[in-house]
Amino acid sequence: MAEKGKLSNEHLGGVVRLREEQEKVVKDCENRVQHWKKVSGDYEALNHRLKTLPDQLSYEITVPFGPLAFMPGKLVHTNEVTALLGDNWFAKCSTKQAQKIVDHRTKYVKSEIDDLLKTMKNFEARVGLAKDLENISSGKGDFIDIREDSGNIEVAVTKGRKRIAHKPNSKPKLDAILDLKEEEEEDENKGEDGGKRVGTITEEELWARLDELEKLEQQQDDQDRLSDNADMNGDMNDEETSSSSSEEEKEAALPVNGQSLKPSWTSAPHGKLPPCIESKAEEDDDEEEGNGLPTIFFSHTMEPKKVRINTGKNTMLKFSERKEQHSKKKKKNGLNGHSHHELHKISTPVDIYRLFVDVKNGELIPRKSILKSRSRENSVCSDTSESSAADFDERRMIGRSFSHDDATTHSDTSDGITEEDSPTAVPLHPASRFEAFSGTVVEKDPMPTAVPHLTITPPALPTIMERKQEEVASDVAPPKEAPKRVSKFKAARLQQK
Amino acid sequence: MAEAIQKKLKAEVEKFRQMEKDVSKSVSTRQKLETQLAENNIVKEELDLLDTTNTVYKLIGPVLVKQDLDEAKATVTKRLEYINGEIQRYESLLKDLEKKSEQHRELLSSLQQEFQKAQGLSVGKA
Repeated sequence: MAEKGKLSNEHLGGVVRLREEQEKVVKDCENRVQHWKKVSGDYEALNHRLKTLPDQLSYEITVPFGPLAFMPGKLVHTNEVTALLGDNWFAKCSTKQAQKIVDHRTKYVKSEIDDLLKTMKNFEARVGLAKDLENISSGKGDFIDIREDSGNIEVAVTKGRKRIAHKPNSKPKLDAILDLKEEEEEDENKGEDGGKRVGTITEEELWARLDELEKLEQQQDDQDRLSDNADMNGDMNDEETSSSSSEEEKEAALPVNGQSLKPSWTSAPHGKLPPCIESKAEEDDDEEEGNGLPTIFFSHTMEPKKVRINTGKNTMLKFSERKEQHSKKKKKNGLNGHSHHELHKISTPVDIYRLFVDVKNGELIPRKSILKSRSRENSVCSDTSESSAADFDERRMIGRSFSHDDATTHSDTSDGITEEDSPTAVPLHPASRFEAFSGTVVEKDPMPTAVPHLTITPPALPTIMERKQEEVASDVAPPKEAPKRVSKFKAARLQQK
Repeated sequence: MAEAIQKKLKAEVEKFRQMEKDVSKSVSTRQKLETQLAENNIVKEELDLLDTTNTVYKLIGPVLVKQDLDEAKATVTKRLEYINGEIQRYESLLKDLEKKSEQHRELLSSLQQEFQKAQGLSVGKA
């Protein structure tokens, strides 16, 4: 207690001194402003004189002659003055020019006065603040107990003061006082409640953040698992186990989506439909805006076809609906599915990088730079880019066995493919989601044997699919497909090597 | 013992005062330079208002010496440069001086403590 009293006393003394110094500054400013005002007045008079001086050719005047005597005289050359510019520089000029100079000087004087006034105002506000501080600190004496009770509150009070101090110009002292008092009252009444509130808020945010991080972690885990599977399982068949395990995990992780995960593909599409429709509607106006981040991804890519093919089961419905609405926007359907997932997935720039993966030795490796062009063999982009899409198309033409959309343009193909493929895929899937992949696998096997180039392509596609599916998995059911596809792709790669 | 320290302390205080004087001197010089800078700036601007028909004089001692307008402008510009250079020089000088005086102050305070200790010791002995 004694210490606190001392502190407050010291504080008070400091405040008093601060106020005195600030008052000094204000007074000084006032004096200077006074001085400049006088100068300004002089210049005004001079200006007036200069204006009227050339009115006549000559004036009768009494010339001061020493300190005591005057003598009559005549003022001639009324349009000729010598002006002192400063620093002992003189200039002979006409009264007009002299007036210009005078104007210039008055401008300077005005700016000077303005500056001084500003400073003065500033310090006046500070003086007011200091006075308030003084009052409060002296008033503190009565309420010492309160202050001591809440050390935290004291801090808060000081905080409040600081804030006020930042806008002393705009805020009158009264406000500051009121604020402070209010704060004090609050502190008295509620004590630490305010602090708790703040704490809770932050806590909520914290939890939200934690959840987010957890999700991310799970996603990453899934991804890792997938890559592991790819490494371990050359065949698609083996993947079932891994996929199932991943499934389980995903279910556990995402209880909400649990149903969608297990059910057949048809069910999954239903679950997805609503979002797709929404996205479509949005897309009608603006494709990209509707999807947010994900849309941006896809807007640049031609792959929609691929996506649909790969994920056809999931996205079928969307595509068909889309066709009806817009032929052009179909590309984005695949994207929509993505966007749906991505909405959850992409929350930070880092997430974007996660979508780009290099495949090395059958493992997915995050790319160091997504700006560099990737070599086709080594790297795969989870979301397909234009170039990759184009390449795929070309390769498909050659390796046609698995691709459905050779002849058609991208948009057209996408529609056609989705319709055609999805039905085909569906029959396969009923037994298990993996079966659909098995079909893909068949395609891939031929590829490696046929041409190295071709082999490359299939991997790329699978990877894409897997990625998307992963995303899907995170949100909804389809996770199992992803592992299979990956494994296929990787298996192909391994075989090549 | 205490007396020796006291002597030393006095000498140091004297030095410190001298230093403070230097500081305040250079501060005032700097302020003067600042005003000169403002003045010369005004002169320059006002010279720009004039044209070749005007005659420019420089007051040297008691006489007004006629000067060419361009020459006057050049002179003023040079003077501005000089003043700016001077200001910078004084700025660095001031920084130096302040640092030194700060160091000196610390030294002084330590000396003072020593002195007080010595005094207390001598008193205790006595």
